[in-house]
Amino acid sequence: MEGPANKGCKCATCHANFGDCPGHYGYLSLALPVFNVGYFTTILEILKCICKSCSRILLEEKLYKDFLRKMRNPKLEALRKCDLVKKIIKKCTSLTSGNKSMKCSRCGYLNGSVKKAVSMLGILHYRSRSKDAGVVSEDLRAPYNVSNDILNPFRVLSLFKRMSDEDCELLFLSDRPEKLIVTDVPVPPIAIRPSVIMDGSQSNENDITERLKRIIQQNASVSQELSTSNSQPKYLESWDMLQSEVAQLINSDVRGIPFTMQVSKPLAGFVQRLKGKQGRFRGNLCGKRVEFTGRTVISPDPNLKITEVAVPIHMARILTYPERVTSHNIEKLRQCVSNGPDKYPGARMLRHLDGSMRSLMISGRKRLADELKYGEIVERHLEDGDVVLFNRQPSLHRMSIMCHRVRVMPWRTLRFNESVCNPYNADFDGDEMNMHVPQTEEARTEAILLMGVQNNLCTPKNGEILVASTQDFLTSSFLITRKDTFYDRAAFSLMCSYMGDGMDLVDLPTPALIKPIELWTGKQLFSVLVRPHASMKVYLNLTVKEKSYSKVKGNEKERETMCPNDGFVYFRNSELISGQVGKATLGNGNKDGLYSVLLRDYKAHAAAACMNRLAKLSARWIGNHGFSIGIDDVQPGDQLIKQKQTTILEGYRDCDKQINLFNTGNLPPEAGCDAAQSLEAKITQILNGIREATANVCMQNLHWRNSPLIMSQCGSKGSPINISQMIACVGQQSVGGRRAPDGFIDRSLPHFRRKAKTPAAKGFVANSFYSGLTATEFFFHTMGGREGLVDTAVKTADTGYMSRRLIKALEDLSIHYDSSVRNAGGCIVQFCYGDDGMDPAQMEGKSGAPLNFERLFLKAKATCPTDGHKILSPSEFSKTVEERLSKNDATPECGCSPAFIGSLKIFLNKYVEAQKKSWGTLLADNESDVGKSTIGSSDNDDIVIRNKVVQNIAGVTHRQLQVFLDTCLSRYHTKKIEAGTAIGAIGAQNVTLGVPRIKEIINGAKRISTPIVTAALKQDDNVNIARMVKARIEKTNLGQIAKCIQIVMSSRSALIEIKLDMEKIRDAELYVDANVVKQAIILTPKLKLKHEHVNVLDDRKLRVLPQDADRSKLHFNLHFLKNMLPAVVVKGIKTVGRAVIKEEKDKVRNAKKFSLLVEGTGLQAVMGTEGVDGCNTKSNHIIEVQQVLGIEAARKCIIEEIKYTMESHGMSIDIRHMMLLGDLMTFRGEVLGITRFGIQKMDKSVLMLASFEKTADHLFNAAVNGRDDKIEGVSECVIMGIPMPLGTGMLKVRQRVSVPQQLPYGPPAILS
Amino acid sequence: MAGLLFNDIFKVKCVNPDGKKYDKVSRIEARSEKLSMYMLLDVNTEIYPIDEGEKILMVLSPSLNYDGSPVTSYSDQEGKKSLADKFEYIMHGKIYKLSDEGSGSDLKVEVYASFGGLQMMLKGDPIHCAKFRVDQNMFLLLRKLT
Repeated sequence: MEGPANKGCKCATCHANFGDCPGHYGYLSLALPVFNVGYFTTILEILKCICKSCSRILLEEKLYKDFLRKMRNPKLEALRKCDLVKKIIKKCTSLTSGNKSMKCSRCGYLNGSVKKAVSMLGILHYRSRSKDAGVVSEDLRAPYNVSNDILNPFRVLSLFKRMSDEDCELLFLSDRPEKLIVTDVPVPPIAIRPSVIMDGSQSNENDITERLKRIIQQNASVSQELSTSNSQPKYLESWDMLQSEVAQLINSDVRGIPFTMQVSKPLAGFVQRLKGKQGRFRGNLCGKRVEFTGRTVISPDPNLKITEVAVPIHMARILTYPERVTSHNIEKLRQCVSNGPDKYPGARMLRHLDGSMRSLMISGRKRLADELKYGEIVERHLEDGDVVLFNRQPSLHRMSIMCHRVRVMPWRTLRFNESVCNPYNADFDGDEMNMHVPQTEEARTEAILLMGVQNNLCTPKNGEILVASTQDFLTSSFLITRKDTFYDRAAFSLMCSYMGDGMDLVDLPTPALIKPIELWTGKQLFSVLVRPHASMKVYLNLTVKEKSYSKVKGNEKERETMCPNDGFVYFRNSELISGQVGKATLGNGNKDGLYSVLLRDYKAHAAAACMNRLAKLSARWIGNHGFSIGIDDVQPGDQLIKQKQTTILEGYRDCDKQINLFNTGNLPPEAGCDAAQSLEAKITQILNGIREATANVCMQNLHWRNSPLIMSQCGSKGSPINISQMIACVGQQSVGGRRAPDGFIDRSLPHFRRKAKTPAAKGFVANSFYSGLTATEFFFHTMGGREGLVDTAVKTADTGYMSRRLIKALEDLSIHYDSSVRNAGGCIVQFCYGDDGMDPAQMEGKSGAPLNFERLFLKAKATCPTDGHKILSPSEFSKTVEERLSKNDATPECGCSPAFIGSLKIFLNKYVEAQKKSWGTLLADNESDVGKSTIGSSDNDDIVIRNKVVQNIAGVTHRQLQVFLDTCLSRYHTKKIEAGTAIGAIGAQNVTLGVPRIKEIINGAKRISTPIVTAALKQDDNVNIARMVKARIEKTNLGQIAKCIQIVMSSRSALIEIKLDMEKIRDAELYVDANVVKQAIILTPKLKLKHEHVNVLDDRKLRVLPQDADRSKLHFNLHFLKNMLPAVVVKGIKTVGRAVIKEEKDKVRNAKKFSLLVEGTGLQAVMGTEGVDGCNTKSNHIIEVQQVLGIEAARKCIIEEIKYTMESHGMSIDIRHMMLLGDLMTFRGEVLGITRFGIQKMDKSVLMLASFEKTADHLFNAAVNGRDDKIEGVSECVIMGIPMPLGTGMLKVRQRVSVPQQLPYGPPAILS
Repeated sequence: MAGLLFNDIFKVKCVNPDGKKYDKVSRIEARSEKLSMYMLLDVNTEIYPIDEGEKILMVLSPSLNYDGSPVTSYSDQEGKKSLADKFEYIMHGKIYKLSDEGSGSDLKVEVYASFGGLQMMLKGDPIHCAKFRVDQNMFLLLRKLT
């Protein structure tokens, strides 16, 4: 009995009731054995290797021993063993390949090739009937006899039973092969195939049950037909049916099922249960449904701190946290218990000391509350300050799930500060978010420390700040810090009180304007915001160039703080000196904005507090001030309308001119384009010019109060393009990067004339959104709009899959305590993470440098006052630096990378040089003055004063320098990446970008779409040499250099004569003559011409004789040759498409520099070409680089290519992530793509592979090979539900335990 | 008045050399008569209008008290004689940068100060700038000369 069928009855096997019985397996014996589909390929492979008579391996003895010895090598990994088995199978199949037969060396049986039967689950054995096998291979064409021997499961079973254990070992079978064939079908217990009772007596049976039913039926009919025995073909048919039924029990979409049995919706088999996104592995083991969760719509609340989340009271009443009763909280919990589950703050459950649970739904709560004892656990409602995890899907990166503190609030939405929108990528147009409540104190601690919002302010992608002010906050800050905002005492004090909750200490600064009236500026308000009162030790120092900063023209000096647009933000000791703050200062995505600097210099709390203050201030300020957008904001002025009209007319006229030129055929073609393309290019250029010109006019004429203008200037929303599209001109619509295509014959829409190429006919929208689009313009606009939508949809899907693959490949990489990066098995991927062991999230400098020296130097100078201290002379300066850098914590042994010390030295040297210059002029002045100064003392005074002034300007005191060096070094050491960081997963989250090229690189594609070899030249300053080398590389066909290739037929001979065009050859500097051509012709394999067939007459003439003497074919031969000869490659590299000379400006030598860009593959050949500097020649084809230059070059190539691609898409990603990816793809000694094939070869566990792709295949193979899984990777641990050895799970406590004395086991006493 | 940092008469050369950007604030380009210093100064022209060609007396002082003692509170200004009484327009701010331009005898020093965001740039011979220190708080006092 398998177990109780329903709740009512007891188990007949274990006498437990429905809930407790685990279920018991039964089995069903089949009348005849059948194949197990999961192992079908394995069975086939084994059959290929063994003799179909004596079951021994087909290999000869010596080879057999050799392979066995290799197989038995204990050091061999499972992966290598699989490869070896593949080799053996290949060897064996080659013995019987084609129509050869092979005599078994042991029993003399003739073995043919074994193949899978088409359209059925069966195995065919092609076997020659001729007696002597040796003769068969001699004449392949002779007709021969083949008996298609069907190897039925019964025969295979008997063959397998006779296999020796040694042979099994050779084929890497961990168990007896006969187990691959099903003789008994297991019948799983009810728990595995539950039947759902529908209302009434109807029950809905599980698919497996249905399938088992059919197997039983089929089995019965087989056994009946067997017993009647006279109808042999009939039972075979039933057997086949039984085979397919059993096959479908395991895998319902197995191929080879007879057509009659295929139904529209097949019953799911076991494989279907496991595989796919909803399958057991991905749906139930890697991700599970959890309790203590909430989900609802989100909305903003600037009054909350950035670390908080407002939880609706309804939710707080349902979600609970088990709190243990102590002397500190007993009164609170008593209240909770007595309130019960429905009244907030209450509790839902009470756990007594003995572990029994008590629901608080009942009425006797008062008594329970009074009897509350220390140590009991109360599952109380959520309260303020509780720790929850907050998450929004799609969870693309680490910051998509962060830890917040609860604020229980009325109403029904989850609310949080808008500053935290960015990491979640949330908006409030109806988004929903999830919340999870950690249930233990450990979980809470880990959550708040590792995932807390304030510990995740910046992204590990590149160290830029992610949680920062957005939208309205930027707008109001921008308006507040405008140069002409002034506040009187009342207004200023009111606004100071906006920042906090009215209880905070604020020191009013001295008003900027004292007379005629006291006025404070908005900038002073901002100074107060950063540092509200004098006892607060926050000294912010930074400079930022905002978007509005006026660029210097020509050789003018940088105007910095004197910028007329006030675009240079300068904070000095927490005082806003100048600049109208906008997105560059307050927003996300920068490294030296206000919050970044606060975070680095004064830690997360200071940055978070400042964000809170700004959120409150700006929300309240903008509430009073008001900020809205109306139709008058987008109304163009008269001047704009006039100017727009003229620009558009002018542009149209230009376009018409170009079109006319094109129509008359006089259009000068652009480089590398034909006439139509150059026309398109020209027109596009003109049209873009129109839009830009109108946009410029539009932007200039807007009043500063214009809301869209303010928003675009401060960076809160919208760009200048958006504004000018609303007001002035929408501009060209593009589809697929071109102007609107022709949807009708020769025209885009029937509104236009045929072949019309005018701007309006090809999608140029001259109107603005305000003036309204015409019908055709509107249609073109929708075309462009749709393309955008389609693009995003496709990109999301692509990116999602790529991110999944990357995560699976990189998930188990983590930093170890020796700063090496290893995978779960302990295999080293990188010796030192990113070559310096730094945390990418904490990098301050540009392009991943640990520190921004300039800013730190500025800070050191600003925070340590100069007055009274002696200014260091350049030599003293150098001495101090030297001294400090020779100390212990600045040595490589203490973890300072030489690169860092080097960059620090470079920075300081630069400063010293500048100092020397100014001191030098001064001293020189001094000396020349000294001679004169003896005359009058006034001159001498002058010098002293001058001296002092100059010293004041750029000098550094000893203390300032000391502080600077100390900060640099100590901060460097805190930026080391922590051991245990799952850096692989972090890297994978950040490299993801849905770009075809990235996909190519990551896949490790063998054929890439645009292979380019960049060849450096040995002599790179001469264009002629470059051209020569180009000619050498580029493929030249005979057709290109021949004057004529003609058939000459005379009475005596018929041949082809080739005349070379020597002038052309000389022009192209090819150095080709007839002899070279002859060689090329002979070496072309398709022509099959030999030396004697080609005669060289002189330098420019040669004759080719057809090779076959057969007269009947002569004519055809001649024509064949004539057609083929022009394609013969005379000179150059065959795999190369074309080569382009690239011209660069060499800044050092101030001369032109040439290099070659060669399209196509053939790195080795290009490198070997004369004139090419092989050492500096690169290719973007990773696989080719690996083949030619080796694995280290391939790694470098991967890193460079990803970096280049990311940069060209405007993404800045820390190089360390790319290095890790490059290392992972190459650490096995070959380039492994991040695909299912590559990941398989990365030494991963079976469970992990099964949870990735091809679930069933991996499991079946692992079963055959008897693989064991150490459960050390991330996926495996998640599946098994145990802590993974990463991050905080990396540590284990070891304890010295005195081993208990082992008791001697004697034989049990016979009598006792 | 020994405590003064700077004291000269400027002639306004130009108002808003880069074009008018703000409603209430204008940038003034001026040159001094005595020391021939060049100055750029942002002034709240809404409450203190300045036109081109006007002559202005400008004083920079660390304190408003005649004895040079620091101003401690606004309340006890009443009744007490103060530097402020003689001027029409007073700002309070801080020097944040000194820089040099040119070399040798051509050497000029630029003094930058910010009065709550209203900028001042004073350029001239180093000798006249000896009293200025970075991070020095000071008052800027203006009076029109007719």
